[in-house]
Amino acid sequence: MTAGHGVGIGWRPEISGFVAGLPGLRFVEVVAESLPPTGPAPAALADLRARDVAVVPHGVRLSLGGAEPVDPARVAHLAHAAAVVDAPLVSEHIAFVRAGDVEAGHLLPLPRSREAVAAVVANVRRTQAELPVPIALEPIAAIFDWPDDELTEAQFITEILDRTGALLLLDIANVYANARNRGTDPVDLLDRLPLDRVAYVHVAGGAEHAGVYHDTHTDPIPAEVLDLIGELCARHRPPALLLERDGNYPAGDVLRAELDAIAAASGYPTVT
Amino acid sequence: MTAGPEHPGAGPAPAAPHPPGPPPGDLAARQAELVAALVTGAPVPPGFDERLVGIARTALLRKRAGDVARHWPLLAAGLGADWPATFAGFAATRPTRGSLRDGWDLARDLHAAGRLTGPARDELAAREATWHYRGADAPRPRRLPALRRGDGTVVIQFAGRVHTLTLPGTAARPGR
Repeated sequence: MTAGHGVGIGWRPEISGFVAGLPGLRFVEVVAESLPPTGPAPAALADLRARDVAVVPHGVRLSLGGAEPVDPARVAHLAHAAAVVDAPLVSEHIAFVRAGDVEAGHLLPLPRSREAVAAVVANVRRTQAELPVPIALEPIAAIFDWPDDELTEAQFITEILDRTGALLLLDIANVYANARNRGTDPVDLLDRLPLDRVAYVHVAGGAEHAGVYHDTHTDPIPAEVLDLIGELCARHRPPALLLERDGNYPAGDVLRAELDAIAAASGYPTVT
Repeated sequence: MTAGPEHPGAGPAPAAPHPPGPPPGDLAARQAELVAALVTGAPVPPGFDERLVGIARTALLRKRAGDVARHWPLLAAGLGADWPATFAGFAATRPTRGSLRDGWDLARDLHAAGRLTGPARDELAAREATWHYRGADAPRPRRLPALRRGDGTVVIQFAGRVHTLTLPGTAARPGR
């Protein structure tokens, strides 16, 4: 991403009309697996491209952290998605979503081990070889950790980025969730990450269940997450920040207020 | 650090105390164990926090229930407040085969048990009339016309279009 993309929103079919009505919008993200494997992009996304709104395909099922090699068909789909929306980049997660043929149905954490770094690096390189654009990698929110971590979170992420040349998609709500659940300082992680490698930032809401904070994408953004945007931008302002909402969609006014709050916290112009 | 498979000539590493849990070098097997614990009810692998893995398992079922409800809105609405628990009871030991098929399998189970009524039964009838789905493979569109019984209705699919007719002599359902 380049400077000037500012505040964006995850495009979803359910809020397509709302997104189309945002006058200052410069970029959106679309779930890559929701795009057709062949043929053109949906008309609503083509309309956004015609307004010169950047569209970033965001993969959720590639399983870059799987011990097995990534599925070439899934990589080809991501590459096709990038081509049909003329994307500046694509993004995926530092996570695994299946083992063998069994689907977990969710992004699962990796052990922060050298073995896992090697698995991710090999899969990112296989993917990069087929992609027409750069890839940004997103660390996830983890409800539990593996018992035998060798590296800190910052070391784990930085080593993967260094060995692949990939960009960082930093999810500030995940930073908040992990720190809250592990009892660590989220600002300390910001100080240890290569913030100059951030392509863009995810922002989302969450809620506490059974004493654990969940990054749900279906609840309001906590004030603490907006404060962390301020801490991040005071260190290194990312080129763009994007609101993720994945269900339980509120009224348009509520979504507009969240977009405005992200703009205020980051100092970017409002898009509403 | 340069240890790892990309540097086979680096020589033996200095002896270090082994971490707890299974030895490293078997990431595939350990990932499979963890996925099994989360989606098939297998035991939580040694070393993991059982409480937190259990919370993740519950969160995963909640998320799957929401995804299936988007594909099967009348099925979920028909169960109302019982939807999350009904879905969780069905799905706790079954890995997902995608939200469309998960909802389909559950709707068929409920129908066989006589628990599917009203619009949820029409929703299933409309899907059955439109697609071939044998359970083992992904559904595929029917090429021929088809007819299925709903709840006091009959669902007719012709050339891909679905029509729901109320059967004569059946009391109109409230809210339709």
